Amino acid sequence: MADTEITKQEIQAVFPKVAETMADALGCDVDQVKLDVSLIEGLDAESIDFLDMVFRLERAFKIKIPRGRIIENARGDMPESEFEQKGVLTQGGLAQLKRYLSEIPEERFGNPMKVADIPRLFTPETFCKLVIHAQREAAAAS
Amino acid sequence: MDDHFAAFSFVDRITALESGVRARGMFAVPRDLDAFPACLVAEAVGQLAAWVAMDKIAFRGRPVAALATETIFDGDVAPGSRLDLAVEVESCDDEAIAYGGTAHVAGVQVIELKHCLGPMLPVQEFDAPEVLRERLRLLRAEGAPGGRFHGVVTPTLDVLEGEPGRSARAMLQVPTAAPFFADHFPRRPVFPATLLLDSQIRLALDLARAAIGSATRAVPVPLRMTNVKMRSFIAPGQAVVLGAELAALNDLDSAVRLSAAIDGRTVATARLNLAMREK
Repeated sequence: MADTEITKQEIQAVFPKVAETMADALGCDVDQVKLDVSLIEGLDAESIDFLDMVFRLERAFKIKIPRGRIIENARGDMPESEFEQKGVLTQGGLAQLKRYLSEIPEERFGNPMKVADIPRLFTPETFCKLVIHAQREAAAAS
Repeated sequence: MDDHFAAFSFVDRITALESGVRARGMFAVPRDLDAFPACLVAEAVGQLAAWVAMDKIAFRGRPVAALATETIFDGDVAPGSRLDLAVEVESCDDEAIAYGGTAHVAGVQVIELKHCLGPMLPVQEFDAPEVLRERLRLLRAEGAPGGRFHGVVTPTLDVLEGEPGRSARAMLQVPTAAPFFADHFPRRPVFPATLLLDSQIRLALDLARAAIGSATRAVPVPLRMTNVKMRSFIAPGQAVVLGAELAALNDLDSAVRLSAAIDGRTVATARLNLAMREK
């Protein structure tokens, strides 16, 4: 299901639990977890924290989130070779990423942009979308 | 003597293995040890999980300690005991294993690990895959001979400044050489996370003892450890600053916040709940 179909209401519905889960993972106050804060630059998250957050969200929402799913979701149906080449997003891949991470201000995207730098863009809203996607997939499967 | 599969290996035999799902195993704690700390019991459970994980992904990767949501310390393990180990896998693939597990002695649970996660790293960075494969075959067949483990020299903690009754800090100097580095791991020596946790628990207990004073008849003991997060490897010879902090002055009912840092960068965090036990 396309990301553009995720509504603000859906995001607001899952955000309180996502924020609480992230605060637990990051050891910070839940008030610091704003919907649009950069997790790496604003809350000092590291790669292990992303793993921790996904692990906790799976249990909190009783969903399965395969590792690397955010980038997979962003790529959508686009073949990997069209999305990125040698670790750098193609122009088509960058446009696709911008569509998926529509909540991220334009100036935060690099151009060219390395795939490895994509997590620098992530915000709690990114994870809300991840949860909603996983919930939809679970509902579709059942 | 070859320290590989000896100086820091805590699975003697795997008695049941359902690939990627669960396993049962055992470890005979050598009788001649002075003690067998709870953190090594946790290590034994984690090592059984590591065998399950490596078997599941055909030794392409091996898990390393990263997250442990909750560890419950139910009882002490005396030298000479037989540990019966059990692991239940929540998920396992080339990226990570998520699992829980227990250890029992004579039918009584001594430790429980809940919701642990170990990311997989390329196995060849740490050990020879064919050697590990052969070891798993041995563990699943007749098992390894007992008595291989001869204890670990407990690193001293050099006390740094702290706030009595509230916080404590200490320097842990990781040795540049130790037998366990040959086992953990042969191609890339790493200071075991469980030995770091053991030192952190010791610091927390020192803090608690200082907070309650010597007049009381009770002693603090670890009850449960939560939110363990290992952020990076600790190499031989590194100096680690450990921190333990009570939420409020002399408040032993709240969790002790534990931290470990190298050159000002946090490498591990955890929380520890203590209980008071009569002397």
